[in-house]
Amino acid sequence: MSRPARPVSPGFLRSSWIVASKDLRLEGRTLDAISAMAVFSLIVLTVFNFAFDLTTVRSVGVSKLVPGVLWTTFAFAAIIAFARSFQTEKFRDSLSALVLSPVDRGALFAGKALANFVLVLVLQAALLPLSAIFFDYDLLAVAAPLLFVVVLHTLGIAELGTFFAAVAVRVGRGEALLATLLFPVSSPLVISAVKCTSAVLEGKPLASVQQWLLVAAGFDVLYFLVALVTFEYVVED
Amino acid sequence: MAKRSSHAATALLLAIVGVLMLGANFMVFVYAPDEKVMGAVQRIFYFHVPAAIVAFTSTFVMLGASIGYLWTRSRIWDCLARAATELALLFCLLVLITGPIWAKPAWGVWWTWEARLTTTLLLGLLLAACVMVRSYADSAEQGARLASVLGIVAALDVPIIYKAVDWWRGQHPVVFGPGKKDPLAPEMRATFLFCLLVFLLLYTLLLVLRTRIACHEERARDAAETVAARGEAG
Repeated sequence: MSRPARPVSPGFLRSSWIVASKDLRLEGRTLDAISAMAVFSLIVLTVFNFAFDLTTVRSVGVSKLVPGVLWTTFAFAAIIAFARSFQTEKFRDSLSALVLSPVDRGALFAGKALANFVLVLVLQAALLPLSAIFFDYDLLAVAAPLLFVVVLHTLGIAELGTFFAAVAVRVGRGEALLATLLFPVSSPLVISAVKCTSAVLEGKPLASVQQWLLVAAGFDVLYFLVALVTFEYVVED
Repeated sequence: MAKRSSHAATALLLAIVGVLMLGANFMVFVYAPDEKVMGAVQRIFYFHVPAAIVAFTSTFVMLGASIGYLWTRSRIWDCLARAATELALLFCLLVLITGPIWAKPAWGVWWTWEARLTTTLLLGLLLAACVMVRSYADSAEQGARLASVLGIVAALDVPIIYKAVDWWRGQHPVVFGPGKKDPLAPEMRATFLFCLLVFLLLYTLLLVLRTRIACHEERARDAAETVAARGEAG
């Protein structure tokens, strides 16, 4: 007389990791989002190079122009990853199954956000050297502080993007909604990202943009908590 | 009977606000003196600032009502949240229209990316998104839920956007604030306070009316759904 084992819910971190690794494995096999993002951002960078050729870049200064170009490209390319992050679930109608699984809804959010965060980081790892070639600046000299700035700000953008993608996939005409929500809400983060990147490219120490780094870190934490609490209202059927 | 008296009360309130609004126009254009440097164009201040105060007040009403709805799932909160969102958007648009009309003669430009302007513009976009999500949603309940979540996210963002853009650059005139000597002549002060009062009354009236209409709409939809369900069953 053995009773069927009760399903034991994995812990928060473990379940987030399961969701994230599922998404990343899926992406690794299809390369759907990453290829679309790569081609798109390459085109955006090229268009920016038509607008600002090397002479313009040198006269304005790399640290004034390149941060804006970089973060605009990152933000638009990241939208592609976010928009796709719930598409598989939508087409196979497996979002309900995901929501029914015995894990905290916040963990679902954290997992999805983590997968998106990694995807955007992969894209940035490819784009930054490319932009260094296109705009002629020394990436290696600023690599460490730049990595810190990029990771800190991309985290917040990935959180918000994942959250709004979940909202957008719930309603019919969601694609327009994702951009309409993401860009205004993430604007403090993007301003901060541009300021910090600019300081790094000028060769200033990170301490000179300490208040912006604090804003970005606070933003990351605040919206992670808000999303954890409210995500269940978004995915509820 | 109750319905008729509530209609009469609404009509009376409308009349009072209408008369007060005419009085506000009189004070703005006749009673208040010309400003020394800016001249007549400064008079837009009496509409611009109250409209801005109402827009931000309404945003916080939206925040409270959204939390109230997610907490209790009671429809009255959703109706209030919907009314507050739409009115915040309306007054936000008024601010965005009156601002540049003043800015062109005073600053020489229609627009600048300063903290208050940028915050108001972004708030307008966020409110528009909240209105959009309601109309895009598959069901009224889903629209209410998603709009409440977005309302909370958007309202929390407003102070952060303000602070971020403020550090980034600043230009907006600060009329009231710590360390500022009261810059307004007594007539100007009276006009401003009167306009603020009238705008707040107008806002309250519109909020009550819009909330009531939203509740009626929900009830009408419920009734229609019940009739349709009975038709299918029969």
